[in-house]
Amino acid sequence: MSGFDSDRYSFSLTTFSPSGKLGQIDHALAAVNNGSTSIGIKSHDGIVLVTERKLKSALIDKDSIKKVQILADNVGCVYSGIGADSAVLVRSGRKNGEVYRRQFGENPGVDTVAKDLTAKMQSYTQSGGVRPFGCSLLVGGVDPAGPSLWQVDPSGSSIRWKATAIGKNSRTCKTFLEKRVTPDLSLDDAVKIALLSLKEVFDGLLKAEHCEVGIISTEDGLFRKMTDAEVTEQLDGLE
Amino acid sequence: MPKQDTPQQVLAGLTSKNQFTKTGTTICGVICKNGVVLGADTRSTAGDIVMDKNCEKIHYIAPNIYCCGAGTAADTEYTTELISSQCKLHRYRTDRDTRVATAKTMLTRHLFQYQGHVSAALVLGGVDVLGPHLHTIYPHGSTDTLPFVAMGSGSLAAISMLEQGDADHQGWRPNMEVEEAVDLVKRAIHAGIFNDMGSGSNVDICVITKDEAGKVAADYRRNTDIANPRKYRRDVPYKLPSTRLVEVNGDMDM
Repeated sequence: MSGFDSDRYSFSLTTFSPSGKLGQIDHALAAVNNGSTSIGIKSHDGIVLVTERKLKSALIDKDSIKKVQILADNVGCVYSGIGADSAVLVRSGRKNGEVYRRQFGENPGVDTVAKDLTAKMQSYTQSGGVRPFGCSLLVGGVDPAGPSLWQVDPSGSSIRWKATAIGKNSRTCKTFLEKRVTPDLSLDDAVKIALLSLKEVFDGLLKAEHCEVGIISTEDGLFRKMTDAEVTEQLDGLE
Repeated sequence: MPKQDTPQQVLAGLTSKNQFTKTGTTICGVICKNGVVLGADTRSTAGDIVMDKNCEKIHYIAPNIYCCGAGTAADTEYTTELISSQCKLHRYRTDRDTRVATAKTMLTRHLFQYQGHVSAALVLGGVDVLGPHLHTIYPHGSTDTLPFVAMGSGSLAAISMLEQGDADHQGWRPNMEVEEAVDLVKRAIHAGIFNDMGSGSNVDICVITKDEAGKVAADYRRNTDIANPRKYRRDVPYKLPSTRLVEVNGDMDM
């Protein structure tokens, strides 16, 4: 990065250990695993993103917390890990989406949005004076190739999933998902399975105020967040 | 026979005089009850030649804001697209609908930065939380805020309709019903189409209103009035012996 004193910040803080590991990235992944659970499921006609929104105090104005965010008309995301870091990525993802649209005259594919994010995340593992991002994102959307769900990690790697969970209790969630997710799921089914999965690992009674749900359907290709009323309806309909 | 340029000479003249595509144009806007109505003609010219008989001069800025553009076609197109993109990012960031004042400020800052070299004269209209708004924006970056406006080479014809009306119709008055305002705008654009050489063809209208529930909706009425239809036309396209007819272009009416 230019502008820095050549001695003090020119070297990367992420360096290899003799065994070939990048310690900072592993620690970043640990930060992700400390974060609240986020789940993403791909159905044949859409994507659902769900996250736990547990407030540290009843005094916090719940509506000000936004974990499920829109990145573009047809793409949304959710994070697990450090919220402040995710805000930087969301802002960058949104801008890159618009830059692509202005340059090429069409919406970027979900994979392009995900890959632009990974490029940014990777650059913070190999630049002077910065640390990796302390969050993983689940990026879901619909493009002409259909619905797709991507996980982007602090290392800068991206994986496309049929269904996955990140954050604490992700292992339990993934086991739950492995049993329930099938290729012929509808978006409605996927929403129910995602909420059931969250319910499994949630400490207490799961209500609409404790989670955020974002969906995108191939019908209109527009990402939106479910209202509290809609989430309550879904939760009531479970089991 | 009057002396006429060959096509090659015309093209040479165009490039040497640097007659890039301008919108000639009649554009206007009015404030009505609960909203704004924008109108535009559809002729785009390069010098004396009509380049596009049915171009779109009402540009999208935001779901609740549209902008008519006169001046250099590329300048109006790219400037409005740029600000529209910036407004979208602003919406994501603030989680609120775009305000007309925001779009106005972004446009004027951009135009002032280019000291008038970006030849875009705009009529910006929209409805936001604070109500309906209508502005004109000049290429150097100055603005007017008025209840009715017109820009472009046909603006004199249009403004006379808005200001005074004619023998059978009134001009603008406060609190007009939406469809009355649409009618007024159509007459203003007509005045430009028939009395200004730089304007012609059809009328495009955009109606932006807020209902009692507070929801803002924009109704983009493309070619709401085909004022200059093609008079003579073959019923059936010319059949070339060995060419397969794939599709008939409906725009042959223009």
